[in-house]
Amino acid sequence: MRTKINRLLLILLATAIGVMFIVPLIWMVTISLKSDIEAFLPDLSFIPKEPTLINYIEALKGGDLDVPIIRWIFNSLIVSTVGTVLVLTIDALAAYGLARLDVPFRKALLSMFLSTMMIPGIVWFVPQYILFQDLGLIGTYGAFFLPATAGVFGVFLLYQFFLGYPVEIEEAAYMDGANKWQIFVRMFLPASKSILWTLAVITFMGIFNDYIWPYYVSGGNEDMLTLTAGIAVMTHGSYVNYPNKLMALSVIATLPILIVFLLAQKSIVKGIIHSGIK
Amino acid sequence: MRGSWRSKLTSSLFVLPYFVCFALFLLYPLASGIVLSFQDYDMLGSREFIGLENYKNIFTPGTLIHDLFVRGLSGTFKFVIYSVPFLVIVGLALALLVNALSNRVQGFYRTIFFMPYAISATVMATIWMRVFDTDTGFLNILLDKMGKTGPHIGWLNDTPWVWIALVFCTIWWTVGFNMIIFINGLNEVPEELYEAARLDGANAWHRLIHITLPSIRSISTVVLIMTIIASFNVFAQPFLMTRGGPGYETTVLLMNIFAVAYGQHQGGAASAMAIVLGLIMMVVSTVIYRLLSGRRG
Repeated sequence: MRTKINRLLLILLATAIGVMFIVPLIWMVTISLKSDIEAFLPDLSFIPKEPTLINYIEALKGGDLDVPIIRWIFNSLIVSTVGTVLVLTIDALAAYGLARLDVPFRKALLSMFLSTMMIPGIVWFVPQYILFQDLGLIGTYGAFFLPATAGVFGVFLLYQFFLGYPVEIEEAAYMDGANKWQIFVRMFLPASKSILWTLAVITFMGIFNDYIWPYYVSGGNEDMLTLTAGIAVMTHGSYVNYPNKLMALSVIATLPILIVFLLAQKSIVKGIIHSGIK
Repeated sequence: MRGSWRSKLTSSLFVLPYFVCFALFLLYPLASGIVLSFQDYDMLGSREFIGLENYKNIFTPGTLIHDLFVRGLSGTFKFVIYSVPFLVIVGLALALLVNALSNRVQGFYRTIFFMPYAISATVMATIWMRVFDTDTGFLNILLDKMGKTGPHIGWLNDTPWVWIALVFCTIWWTVGFNMIIFINGLNEVPEELYEAARLDGANAWHRLIHITLPSIRSISTVVLIMTIIASFNVFAQPFLMTRGGPGYETTVLLMNIFAVAYGQHQGGAASAMAIVLGLIMMVVSTVIYRLLSGRRG
């Protein structure tokens, strides 16, 4: 009996805290469905009196305030997708090489890669920006996703996974005359689908959600902002007095990433745990 | 064939693409950032070696760089001190809560607490600016309806409220990350320990103090250090929500490093500031790591 009451109290407590976590998200949707006037009324009901989709329609059409949001969505999807594919390809190759092959200076390379994980990103932010300026890449897509390819996280994550692969099967394949490339493509890649998926989700969300770097490397060209960076500009720009429009933009930017998150939550947790504990 | 000169060459090809990206986009900026910190660079093209001048300016009272550095560092330090205890303790508390729930609902609540972590900094700021808005924000209207009288609280305009607001939305946004790591740590505590304690008649509180907490000691150290580093890197919340105000109260160092680089066009000084911040972070996390792991247990 006592444990039953305890159980109930715990669920009540978790629900109360859960409501605090959910309410801001619901509030975002509520405001996005309000008219310009209703958005400022002191009304806390979660369903607007006169719900309207006008903010979404105006945001997507451009409306009276000219915001290239379709372009931003396109930019975000392009740079996140290309960046993720690049990171996955490059990291998988490197991790396989470091974990399973006779790469010269293997240990030294590994510790060099890992030691940079301790250095905060701000130390190379400005010089990295200057590099892209010197390369003439400011305001191009390359500037958005290329820095991600230098990230150590993915190499380390896959490296640890590849280390745990049993050596016997690999040896047998070599005996049968397979070469390194064939073993990588036919054995290692298929066996590591789930960890690759983990890395893909984390990388995609990272690039999609980043805004400081895209904000600066867009080079002041509004058409070259990503959706996330665009919202930062709008918050203090032409949407500053239209919280309802701003929220519609936020919902549009959050929906895809939230769906990815909910579908891939297990993979994300796996990635965090692998990176956090070691 | 393996171990031969030829094999080593083909093996290297696997690592080569990443190595090139790493060298070009990370190692080179790192090295050039160090060089830059000894230069006067206008962010456009003209560079001049000025030795330790940038570092000297950071530590010389009265210079603009000193003011920006000290002001920013004080804001960053305050945020670290105010936010880290909550992020770690609330993270642990949520993990304990989720773990105490029955298996059927665990996943549901874990997802709820972790969900804000998926949201971008800009959307997070947009939402919470609406919650904390002085005149028409959710929170002040809620307080009105609950019977609070008098002027509205300036959650984003007045001290100390502004820190409470920034820390609160940071907890909402990122505490799920710490919770996930704690949950994993809790799951690795051997069940036998609890069984033995139950037989000895230990109650829930004693089990927490004498078994759970000592068992997750090392994972707690990791969470603490990761949280400290993350809080030192604070930028989005004050930059988007308070613009550093009121006055310079919530102006953090990252904001001023960007201001020096892109506002003052002093790339060299910005690099020196970033390097000093990096060194401070490394010293602080090393000291805390030594203190916590040096003790017995």
